Amino acid sequence: MVKKEKTVEKEVVDITEHVLVPKHEVLSPEEAEELLRRYGVSRDKLPYIHPSDPMVKRLKAKTGDIIKITRRSETAGEAVYYRVVWGE
Amino acid sequence: MSSAASVAGIRFGILSPDLIRKMSVAEIISPDTYDEDGLPIPTSVMDPRLGTLEPGQRCKTCGNTYLGCPGHFGRIELPVPVIHVGFAKTIYELLKSTCRSCGRILLPEDECKKYHAELERLRANNLPFKNLIYKIKQKAMNTQVCPHCGEKQLKLELEKPTSFSEMSESGSTKLNPSTVRARLERIPDEDLVLLDINPQTSRPEWMVLTVLPVPPVYVRPSITLESGYRSEDDLTHKLVDILRVTQRLRENIRAGSPSPVIEELSDLLQYHVTTYFNNEAVGVVPAKHRSGRILKTLAQRLKGKEGRFRLNLSGKRVDFSARTVISPDPNIRVNEVGVPLEVAMQLTVAERVTAWNLEKMRMLVRNGSDKYPGAKYIIRPDGKRVRLKFVANLEELATALEPGYVVERHLQDGDIVLFNRQPSLHRMSIMAHYVRVLPYKTLRLNPAVCTPYNADFDGDEMNLHVPQSEEAQTEARELLVVENNIISPRYGAPIIGVIRDFLTSLYLLTRDETKLTKSELAMLLAAIKYKGPIPPPAVKDPEPMWTGKQVFSLLLPKDFNHITKSSFTNTEVVVKNGQLISGVIDKGSVGVEKANSILHRLARDYGPDVARQFLDNVVRLANTFIELKGFSFAVDDLYVPDQIHSDIEQIFKKSENEFSKLLAQYQSGEVEIPPGMTAEQAFEADVLKILSEARDSAGKLIRSRISQNSSAFIMAKTGARGTMLNLDQMIAVVGQQSVRRERVHRGYRRRVLSFFKQDDLSPRARGFVYNSFVSGLDPLEFFFHAVGGRDGLVDTAVRTQQSGYMQRRLINALESLYIDYDGTVRTADEGRIIQFAYGEDGVDPAKSDHGKAVTVSNIVNSVLATTPSGKPATQEYIEQKLQQASQRLNKKILEELRAELGKTNPPREAVDKIVEEVVSKYNASLAEPGDAVGVVTAQSIGEPGTQLTLRTFHFAGVGEQSILKGLPRLIEIVDARRTPTTPIMYIPLTPEYASNLAKARKLAKQIQHTTIGDLISEMLVNYKRGTLEVQLDAKSLEEHGVTKRDIEKALKGVEAEYDEEKRVISVKLDEEGLMDIARVRERISSIKVKGIRRIKKATVFKEKDEYVIRTEGSNLREVMEVPGVDWRRVKTNDIYEIAEVFGIEAARNAIVEEAKAVLEDQGLDVDIRHLLLLADMMTVSGSVKQIGRHGVVKLKSSVLARAAYEISVQTLLEAAARGEVDSLKGNVERILIGREIQVGTGMVTLLMSHEKGE
Repeated sequence: MVKKEKTVEKEVVDITEHVLVPKHEVLSPEEAEELLRRYGVSRDKLPYIHPSDPMVKRLKAKTGDIIKITRRSETAGEAVYYRVVWGE
Repeated sequence: MSSAASVAGIRFGILSPDLIRKMSVAEIISPDTYDEDGLPIPTSVMDPRLGTLEPGQRCKTCGNTYLGCPGHFGRIELPVPVIHVGFAKTIYELLKSTCRSCGRILLPEDECKKYHAELERLRANNLPFKNLIYKIKQKAMNTQVCPHCGEKQLKLELEKPTSFSEMSESGSTKLNPSTVRARLERIPDEDLVLLDINPQTSRPEWMVLTVLPVPPVYVRPSITLESGYRSEDDLTHKLVDILRVTQRLRENIRAGSPSPVIEELSDLLQYHVTTYFNNEAVGVVPAKHRSGRILKTLAQRLKGKEGRFRLNLSGKRVDFSARTVISPDPNIRVNEVGVPLEVAMQLTVAERVTAWNLEKMRMLVRNGSDKYPGAKYIIRPDGKRVRLKFVANLEELATALEPGYVVERHLQDGDIVLFNRQPSLHRMSIMAHYVRVLPYKTLRLNPAVCTPYNADFDGDEMNLHVPQSEEAQTEARELLVVENNIISPRYGAPIIGVIRDFLTSLYLLTRDETKLTKSELAMLLAAIKYKGPIPPPAVKDPEPMWTGKQVFSLLLPKDFNHITKSSFTNTEVVVKNGQLISGVIDKGSVGVEKANSILHRLARDYGPDVARQFLDNVVRLANTFIELKGFSFAVDDLYVPDQIHSDIEQIFKKSENEFSKLLAQYQSGEVEIPPGMTAEQAFEADVLKILSEARDSAGKLIRSRISQNSSAFIMAKTGARGTMLNLDQMIAVVGQQSVRRERVHRGYRRRVLSFFKQDDLSPRARGFVYNSFVSGLDPLEFFFHAVGGRDGLVDTAVRTQQSGYMQRRLINALESLYIDYDGTVRTADEGRIIQFAYGEDGVDPAKSDHGKAVTVSNIVNSVLATTPSGKPATQEYIEQKLQQASQRLNKKILEELRAELGKTNPPREAVDKIVEEVVSKYNASLAEPGDAVGVVTAQSIGEPGTQLTLRTFHFAGVGEQSILKGLPRLIEIVDARRTPTTPIMYIPLTPEYASNLAKARKLAKQIQHTTIGDLISEMLVNYKRGTLEVQLDAKSLEEHGVTKRDIEKALKGVEAEYDEEKRVISVKLDEEGLMDIARVRERISSIKVKGIRRIKKATVFKEKDEYVIRTEGSNLREVMEVPGVDWRRVKTNDIYEIAEVFGIEAARNAIVEEAKAVLEDQGLDVDIRHLLLLADMMTVSGSVKQIGRHGVVKLKSSVLARAAYEISVQTLLEAAARGEVDSLKGNVERILIGREIQVGTGMVTLLMSHEKGE
């Protein structure tokens, strides 16, 4: 592939540090239940994130887990979003 | 809703033969329709038992007249089974995945069990199971031997449209429909479930018809022509065709005809039935009418824009509406509409008679329908309608009137109506106005509302609708009325404002030199119906005079303080305590699309009514003043001293010299070519640059010397009409005419017109117009101008189409989104959450200051202006206050507040007031529950689509990169195309590289994909040595930064040697190679020397104070691995790639960024919240979904919603096979069946059940 420069030490690429990737964390079962109760919905009504998603793999989350995403927001400064690990 | 039972849902399925027979009231046999007397023959398709079309007759089945009879189905018993075209593919799949002998699915028992369980689980959890079904089908179809009975399966083929044949060793045999049907019958119910077929509603054998339903006559009415001939509907024709064949077939079967005859007739029957269902099926010759017109059969009736769904179900014709030409009237209010008397006498409003309006209603009835104001109908309490037109004694009726009657009276002043101009691109295209009945024949509107309707008066027509119910009228008054729509939800600034002459007038009025005499002042004050004290005159001697600013100030609230910019001089406009202190009033302060203008502040801080009244008065004032003062435009207004014209000539002389120099360089091949361009392109770019520079400096000259009092100048500067560029073109030079953004070059061979020498590249020969519009174009220039004009026209036409379709798709994808009571954005049909807070902060852009919920500095300034100054509050106090507010404000506003408070050091009192004010303003700007935010988003992105440029392979910088921009790129984003047309990467570097150009360049070369082919100067075959000698180009080698080592490395595994001295690669040719040198060449050329796959070009740019690399082509994963690349900031415009590498959340961010970049680049103002919602909708499913039939719309659970959008017929057939149920929750479905939608005011329901009393 690419010729390696000896002077530069090769960094390990960590996608969580990329500017486009917001903070992802898995909710504990209690937090998840509380969330579902707060919005009065079942899991399948939340936005999805595929089990094959790179971030899900990193967090080692399982189907049904709810992931809390803290986005940097142009309008609110900071915004929280939730996705449930769901689908194929 | 209604007290009677309402439709809970619609189940789709296939009619079984039994059901068809049960439904049928008559068996239809006779192919002849009428006897000699012209009476319908019983048992024909016009059988009277199916219903009657004649007004006098009664239906033979139900006894009703044609008004009451619902119509009844008949049936045709088919002598041989016939395959339903729509299901041919389903049948094919079923046959292939089941055993030809035992009918079981071709999967072992244990696997069946496993899949059943899996399917059960997915269905229970509401998970998508399409993929599983697909897997099952694939597996079953690929099984050769039946695991149940051991039967070997034969290869099956579907010959479009409806014939199946089986391939065995002995050859192929055609399966006739009876065989197909027999096989389908054998498939057990449990196995069908695995194949996504609901056996309860849709047994597969029902897909092969044995009996055909005949629709009632109402579905296919016949028309009697003037000549007395009857003309039958296309469906009737088709049914007759079917009957004819049926009859012949039956006779032949009875007579025991040979099977080829029967088979041929069966095929004919199959053809007729096929075309009866779908006359556009693949592989069938469409059935034609005698005249050669192609028949419109069942599928065609549903399909497309002209089909049932879109023409009659999604949109319906309405009563109580009017349409005519519009004209302006600055003397009516902005929220009024002038309705011609004639129209007012046709449109009616139902008004209930009460004790309080009894006398008035009696008067209306007495006047009758021909005298205004009157009434057209009365409805008695028993429900009987009386038409007043034919009542002899109106007086008697009037006296009989009492509370409980309803009078349908003429439209009167003050009634509320909806006013609309197509295309209705955003919600401000339909607004509510109050009626003003006026003489003459046009609908009148205040010019200030032209902008939202996008109306002008060159012949435009508009529509008017009268809401009938109290609920509808109230809703119109409260939500749709003009003053509540002053601020556009697209960009959070006024969209209704002063335009054209009124801006000119206001400028003339408010500039410093304007002084008004007492009588002039009186006229103006009378125009605005001013009541109050007259301000003291600004000048007292020799006679009292007032300034225009004083007059304007009378329109402002007394406590109004604001500072904004004027567009005329770009200086400050200062309003202090309701007095215009300095600056002029023009587009910048009262015009449209200007955030934080005087108008905007009035609408936000004083409410819609004050803003509306202000607008009414401003328009009237401006109108009166300009009438008083007079304003005209003539050639004199374009005067500049003659000196200027000769200066301009000098400029062009100079540019011509430059051109000659450039031409000489080009012809001698000396012109410098930037990478990636041909010499011609480079030359053209340079010519354009020279010419536009010349044009610009000519323009500059004009602008500096034109009189400030020139009408043209005033209009351009105030924003009334025209731009400075128009002035340049009129006075100085018209400039370059272009076709597709290039100089005009098409026409004759090597020249545009025969007046030029061939290959004349001069500006004149390629469409540069040296004259100005005033000096007049010569014939050649005129021609070029026409060419350029035509190109513009074509561009506009294409663009409207494209953006219109994009808008339709956006609307369809987002239509069901609304804000729920808890602030989340959900879909109306399934209740799925799309966003947890609308736009992430819950703020409605239509209640914002250009996207910001509150402008903290405004509040601080106004509070400080009103509170007495005192000891500044302590830091701790401020912090404590902020802490309290932090629960109720979002982070961003909190920070802004903190910064403002820190800057101004207000006293305690003021701090309290400020914080309180900020919180209350913030709460006031939150979007309300029920708001249909999806539609607003779709409109906000779709509406400006027409303003986007089309066909822009834009060259950024000096022709380094070509990037797709404008409308095509926006469509590409919402389309979620797999790869962008122009993939681009943006690669920032680590500090070491970012600061060092040489290092950055080196890195770029390392990234850029280079093959040997890129380096070759020539290739020769040396037959003596049996080698292919590849000569490499020194320049290319250096350009690509290729070293000897690179080449040697690349040549590993190839029998070749590299001679660095001569830069020659000698490739050994074996016998095979000698025979096919072309192939060897190809192979050698494609050997990769260095770089990253797909990165076609990498160029270093200086950005701010660092060097970055931009590339053509994208390969995120590999680029990130390159040392020296700052991978934390690397970006690509390939959204799928981002989704793959970083996940769905990053992809969502990328969609927002890309869409934002397109709109910003085009200078369009769209609130970020709309883009956020779009991106969230596109990514809810966990993967990037297209806005359109394959993406977001396909995810909809409702059959009807999908059918109403695109591909109606196929959607319905699939739904039938799967036995889907439409629960009619979404907006589209509800509109189709005529129910209220559950969004906005329709969302309100009772939470408490009255039955259980809970």
